[in-house]
Amino acid sequence: MAQKKKPALAPEPTPGGKVGVYVCHCGGNISDAVDVEQVCAQARRVPGVVVARDQMFMCSDPGQEMIIEDLKSGLVDRVVVASCSPSLHESTFRNALLRAGANPYVYEHANLREQVSWVHHGPEATAKATRLVAAAAAKAARLKPLEPIRVEVQPRALVIGGGVAGMKAALELAARGQAVVLVEKSPFLGGQVAQLQELAPEGETAAAVISELAGAVLGHPAVTVYTCAQVEGFEGYIGNFKLKVVRKPPLGATYADRLEKLSKSGQGLGEYVPFVGVMPATIPESPEDFDLEAGVVVLATGMRPYQPRPGEYAYKNFPEVVTLPEFIRLQAEAEGEGDTLMLHGRPIRGAALIHCVGSRQIPGIHAENEGGYLNEYCSRTCCAATLYAANLIRDRYPQTKIFDFYRDIRTYGRGQEELYTQAAASQVVFFRFEAGEEPQVLKNPDPQGPPLLVQVKDVLTFGEELEVPVDLVVLAVGQEPNNIAGLVQQMKIPIGADRFLQEVHPKLRPVEMSVAGILLAGTCQAPFDVGETCAAAGAAAVKAAAILARGFVELDPFVAEVDLSKCTGTGACVEACLADGALSLVDLEVAGQKVRRARVNPVMCLGCGACVAVCPENAINVQGWTLKQFESMVDLIVSDEYLEGA
Amino acid sequence: MGAGKHAGKILILAEDACAYPGADATGQGHMSYSADTYILRVKASVLFPEQFYLDCFSKGIAGIIIMSCGAETPYPGAYEALARRIDRVYVLMKERGLDIRRLRLTAICTVCTRAFLKEVQQMQDLVCQLGAPGSEAAAAPAGAAKALQEQ
Amino acid sequence: MGSRQNRRFDALVLGGGIAGLEAALNLAEQNFAVAVVEKDASIGGKMIRLSKVFPTLDCSSCITTPKMAAAAHHPNIALFTYCEMQTLERRGEDLVAGILQKSRYVDVEKCIGCRQCEYQCPVLVPDAEQGGFAARKAIYIPFSNAIPQKALIDTDNCILCGRCAKVCPTQAVNYFEQPEEFHLTAAAAVIATGFEAIPLEDKVQYGQGRIPNVITALQMERLLAPHGPYNRVLRPYDGMEPDSIAFIQCAGSRDQSLGVPYCSRVCCMYAIKEAMLLSGALPLADIAIYYMDIRAFGKGYEQFYQTAQAMGVNFVKGKAAYLDPGENGAVRVRYESQEATGGVQVAEHDLVVLSLGLVPAWDPQGRCLLSTGGDKFIKTVKPKTAPTLTDLEGVFVAGAAAGPKDIVDSIAEAGAAAMEASRYLSKQ
Repeated sequence: MAQKKKPALAPEPTPGGKVGVYVCHCGGNISDAVDVEQVCAQARRVPGVVVARDQMFMCSDPGQEMIIEDLKSGLVDRVVVASCSPSLHESTFRNALLRAGANPYVYEHANLREQVSWVHHGPEATAKATRLVAAAAAKAARLKPLEPIRVEVQPRALVIGGGVAGMKAALELAARGQAVVLVEKSPFLGGQVAQLQELAPEGETAAAVISELAGAVLGHPAVTVYTCAQVEGFEGYIGNFKLKVVRKPPLGATYADRLEKLSKSGQGLGEYVPFVGVMPATIPESPEDFDLEAGVVVLATGMRPYQPRPGEYAYKNFPEVVTLPEFIRLQAEAEGEGDTLMLHGRPIRGAALIHCVGSRQIPGIHAENEGGYLNEYCSRTCCAATLYAANLIRDRYPQTKIFDFYRDIRTYGRGQEELYTQAAASQVVFFRFEAGEEPQVLKNPDPQGPPLLVQVKDVLTFGEELEVPVDLVVLAVGQEPNNIAGLVQQMKIPIGADRFLQEVHPKLRPVEMSVAGILLAGTCQAPFDVGETCAAAGAAAVKAAAILARGFVELDPFVAEVDLSKCTGTGACVEACLADGALSLVDLEVAGQKVRRARVNPVMCLGCGACVAVCPENAINVQGWTLKQFESMVDLIVSDEYLEGA
Repeated sequence: MGAGKHAGKILILAEDACAYPGADATGQGHMSYSADTYILRVKASVLFPEQFYLDCFSKGIAGIIIMSCGAETPYPGAYEALARRIDRVYVLMKERGLDIRRLRLTAICTVCTRAFLKEVQQMQDLVCQLGAPGSEAAAAPAGAAKALQEQ
Repeated sequence: MGSRQNRRFDALVLGGGIAGLEAALNLAEQNFAVAVVEKDASIGGKMIRLSKVFPTLDCSSCITTPKMAAAAHHPNIALFTYCEMQTLERRGEDLVAGILQKSRYVDVEKCIGCRQCEYQCPVLVPDAEQGGFAARKAIYIPFSNAIPQKALIDTDNCILCGRCAKVCPTQAVNYFEQPEEFHLTAAAAVIATGFEAIPLEDKVQYGQGRIPNVITALQMERLLAPHGPYNRVLRPYDGMEPDSIAFIQCAGSRDQSLGVPYCSRVCCMYAIKEAMLLSGALPLADIAIYYMDIRAFGKGYEQFYQTAQAMGVNFVKGKAAYLDPGENGAVRVRYESQEATGGVQVAEHDLVVLSLGLVPAWDPQGRCLLSTGGDKFIKTVKPKTAPTLTDLEGVFVAGAAAGPKDIVDSIAEAGAAAMEASRYLSKQ
């Protein structure tokens, strides 16, 4: 410890405050173990303390009035209350300071109940209480009045994504009176749900859901919709995001099939077309861009169905192997009546449905995709969707047999278990397979039989190897997040190992990103069904609404502050900073000299103090929690000065 | 303060989001522990430079327990940065002939009362055994003892 | 407490569990005045009673207490604990709730939560908050992190000895306190009344609660909690450290015979979580989970399940049909195996945990005109595009009140319900 040793009790800088110390008996809870009068007597000797009083219940009106009186009379300008845990009454006493017209931050709390009288006994309890009160007084003497950081908020939300989540979030905010800009990269509103037909388990139609949401969004004067639009520039912070939005015609033939469907349908702009969605505006002929300011950003960039690799379950090897979304479209366009499903003019006498395609993949068992990823997660919606499809076929085409191959049936939601029960009752035949023993889809060697053969080692028959000839194989594919690498990079937001966007905390802050003011809604976070997506969108919207409705954000003043008289511009703090953008080096002119100095963006600063530890000059500190304050507390804790001889 | 029960003061840096409420929970359960412990309420222990710990020892603090939130800290990255710093403090402590067990980095949750008591007890036992900070330097290499004397 | 009678708020939240608190906070943050009505003596609901939560294994209390404290200190939120909502009716623009304040026999304005009364009380009662495995007094603060930290008297067990009143430093004990009825008026309401576990007494196959060492998953939560009754995992019957523990899934769910055909949605994950925590607490114990389907559907859940398998938790495909007492306090599990050669098998375990299904905690019938579904949970009328809408105007539902739901999904719904309610309020 080569550092020069400070004289024990000459703390610097000289404390400026007139500290009042108020010690609570807590009706005996403290005073039975701690000699409260003794603590007060010793506290009066601590530098900076002008008065020390005790009270039976400091939190009571008479107790608070006593403090308010001393503040109002000018006797004290710093307050220490020594009572129960600050978790119970710190806010009570800060409010008392406010009522006295004082700044609520010139307040320090000493915990004499939970951390002294309830855990220690005898003279040592009083000694410890005395040291803690002296330490609190030493800190209080060094406290400065602080003001909460107030950030004005641009009265506008930007919602990225025009699927169910984005539309629902936009609508909620608009209905709450907020201006919303919604940008969607495709020419259509409706997202992946527009590629479906009926929704499990109740059978609402995608047409009804999308028509309702898109109709309301397009009809609401507070929502501005830009299709064929993407965010290509991003800067700023909560309340003040500055974005560049680019509208341009889609690349090549990206949406050719949907545009063709739309023109064939005879429907116009703003009308729902199955397997297309709602096209609200024409496609721009040439790129155009504009700047946008927004107080909050809601990410609703959604998901896409897993696309099996060629050869995975013989996908692309045989035209009779299709994914569930492909099957839904085929089935919707199937012609003819009768009790056997007909696809492309072929009767489907038997169809195999295979679960967990592209989901629940296990390292070492399943193959990674070309990007090196495995989808280890469950896609949540496919079991119910698959069983819904099975029941629909059994119901409409009683001569079409269904064989269902699963690992676990996950009909967890309201009304979903009924789908499973119904499938069993309508003679869907179930086969259960283990991970790593996936069914094999082969060409049926019997030329007289159906084209395909599904082989499986079935758990339900205790491991029997079974073969099922079928006309069709439907792969229940899972959900994957849309690729939004560009946004992720610009906004500096985290994605999880599953490649979905990563919320701050799944329970404490489930719809917030680590960048304040950026919220997430729907399947960009995790697989969800439509109802869950709307709930998630509502949850994101309510957080956005709280920010926008107030018109400002008030942040704790406990953030880093640079002392320019000490800063030498080493940049160590910038390097140590854990919050991107909270600290930077800027050029300043000091006494005619150009110098580099650290500057804090208080809005981005988390107040963790990682910068404080690395500054060689102690030129940066967290307001209200400075290093000097802590050091002076330690000085008073080790000092025996105030223990005897009052 | 000789050997025995009052071997020296223990400073606890208790992070506000987890360990400080954990200490409160211990109090609510009226579970006794050594009165030679002094809890400082901190937002994140990553705030303290290496020198703070060394100064504490030279001021006479016999043991320091950092009760952090571990990986559950509300400040992403803070725990990792803290752990790296403590490693550096250990190096400096060794150079000065201080037993590095006098500084302990741990994680305590809001209801981890037993873990709280265990940590305090272990540190208490340790400082009883080691005595005042610097007393172990007698047994340490001459260079370290010299460094201590220079303070 | 007369002053709080017949107060008016913007919104009323029924239920002070995690869904109710989240909804209340989201409304209060938009400057709406909110009343939270909670039937228990503390807010926090089921979540505050859990040990750790899946899939992050965060300490449950550490996540719940900040929300409880935020609600308790929020200037726009008023908490009404130990209150039953007896009626809720629409009168024009208003929703009027008839509230019954049950008697605590302790004046909450005076009580400082010091527990002197608890220490003096001579009566010991099994503490339901600790699964019945520990004792509490007849006057007590519900649990260590209860909000408010105020005592109440359990009149079923109080012997009226007067010691608590004598020792109370603020004269807060009042043996003559009467229940009080009052009205709360609001424009919108959020129902967040949550769930209860299916009563074990109904289940003949599982011994109706009479087989020693058959406990519920909620009791296991307490055994695993860092502030639990024994400080470690012991079986309650004889204090033995169990070497073999079994979880019985779908105990009362997906079970027509109990009138609960639905999946209770959280039992797979909490059983996996408890199994993981057990393998940490008792590294040498064998842990088996008897199941039909593992429903690990949420974010990070499947990975959590895979981790449990890798840790050696034995997942047994088979529905447990019957439990019997075995030798030396063991429990015999008879189950229909789906593995190997199948058929009915018997296994013995030192301790058996029932993963009981979930039923609604509150029935609107006779109290208000809210409809329920066939599952007796609150009915929602637009489950796809507005999942929190009920059939009563201005009344929204969140969390397990509208069907079993985990914490993450309950919190999302609470946000959605608060959004719908604030829309509704700003329209007025």
